[in-house]
Amino acid sequence: MQLRTTGALVGIVAMLGLSVQVAAETSAEDAKKYRISVMTALKGHMGTASMTVRGLVDDNGQLTGHAAGLVSGVAELHNIFQEGSAVDESEALPAIWEQPEKFAAAIKKSEEATVAFQVAVAGGDGEAIGAAFRNMGKSCGGCHDDFRVEND
Amino acid sequence: MIRNTDIKVAAFVATLMFSGSVLAQEDSLVAKGEYLLNAGGCITCHTKDEEDAIPLAGGRALESPFGTFYSPNITPDVDTGIGGWSDDDFTTAIWEGLNPEGDHYFPAFPFTSYTGISRDDTLAIKAYLFSIEPVSNTNLEHDLPFYMSTRLAAGAWKLRFFDAERFAPDPEQSDTWNRGAYLVRHLGHCGECHTPRGRLGVLLEDEELAGNPEFSDDKKVPNITPDKEHGIGRWSLSDIEYFLDIGMLPDGDFTGGSMGAVIEDNTSRLTREDRLAIATYIKSLPVE
Repeated sequence: MQLRTTGALVGIVAMLGLSVQVAAETSAEDAKKYRISVMTALKGHMGTASMTVRGLVDDNGQLTGHAAGLVSGVAELHNIFQEGSAVDESEALPAIWEQPEKFAAAIKKSEEATVAFQVAVAGGDGEAIGAAFRNMGKSCGGCHDDFRVEND
Repeated sequence: MIRNTDIKVAAFVATLMFSGSVLAQEDSLVAKGEYLLNAGGCITCHTKDEEDAIPLAGGRALESPFGTFYSPNITPDVDTGIGGWSDDDFTTAIWEGLNPEGDHYFPAFPFTSYTGISRDDTLAIKAYLFSIEPVSNTNLEHDLPFYMSTRLAAGAWKLRFFDAERFAPDPEQSDTWNRGAYLVRHLGHCGECHTPRGRLGVLLEDEELAGNPEFSDDKKVPNITPDKEHGIGRWSLSDIEYFLDIGMLPDGDFTGGSMGAVIEDNTSRLTREDRLAIATYIKSLPVE
């Protein structure tokens, strides 16, 4: 039994080691591109979801999908800011790496807000969905405020 | 027969009712003032840019091409704030850019926009400010170049470029448009950042809200006229209203930075009707 546990642990450690190795091999440029792609996907989900939340487009079930995309995309934010990847006009501010705990807390806040949005969407109450969307947006803006270059 | 006691009781009840009515009026004036103070964006500039900073106690650094200005304490503290100001002191500051001693404010304080605010609204804002907790916080000296070191420079600038006058609604336009114009041009003072400036920092009114590429060393402020290429001409009324509510651009991105602060402290606290009025006015501007 103990052997089996030890074996499993070795396996997990090996997998972790492998994943770290893969991450380390990702170039700064690719890390930046990937990050931008995730952010673009999140932006797309927010923009489309907002049109339904505002009542401009009927919800034919698409809101559930956008909510799921937002939950998984925001959760990914913890792993996609590779150190040294603020290259070539990146909008990522050094504060991301200088204040990692504050950054992680900001992402956590967004994670909680997206999960709350998903729950509200499942509940189907328009007012609650609107309020949860607003709260989710606030968490996005709050993070951009501290950790992204201010846009023109 | 009416007894003396009955009269006393009736008088007491009438006094209570009158006092209650006065208190209710005061509460309503304070609530109105709080709303207008939010619409005026006072909190953003008059609060230090730090977490847990005390609202309206001043000390925020406002960087400009003319130096760094530090906003003053506008809580009702008698020694370091505005606690000793009369109604006229307050309206003179808001409308004419003069402090109670008659010294000129630099136009970093947007009296050039605030001059259009009505007397009722101005005094409601004062009523709210005088209802909050006084905070002792001594004002900081501005950090300005030598040619700006005297407030006489501000006086000369005002003499040449400033007219103090209240907003007059345009009878040709709708009530919504006029409300939007009042909020954008005066209370919200949007042009102070979004309108380009010419020589000596004078706002180019013919290019209202057409953007300011030289706002400060590292910041450009966008064109928000209905120009489809350079402005926000592709935004609907709903897009603008929602942006002012939660900070989301039509493509799903979220603003942060200085506009994020304006949304948090000002426009998100307005009614939807007022945000739509702002959007209506902005969409009516000439394309730049």
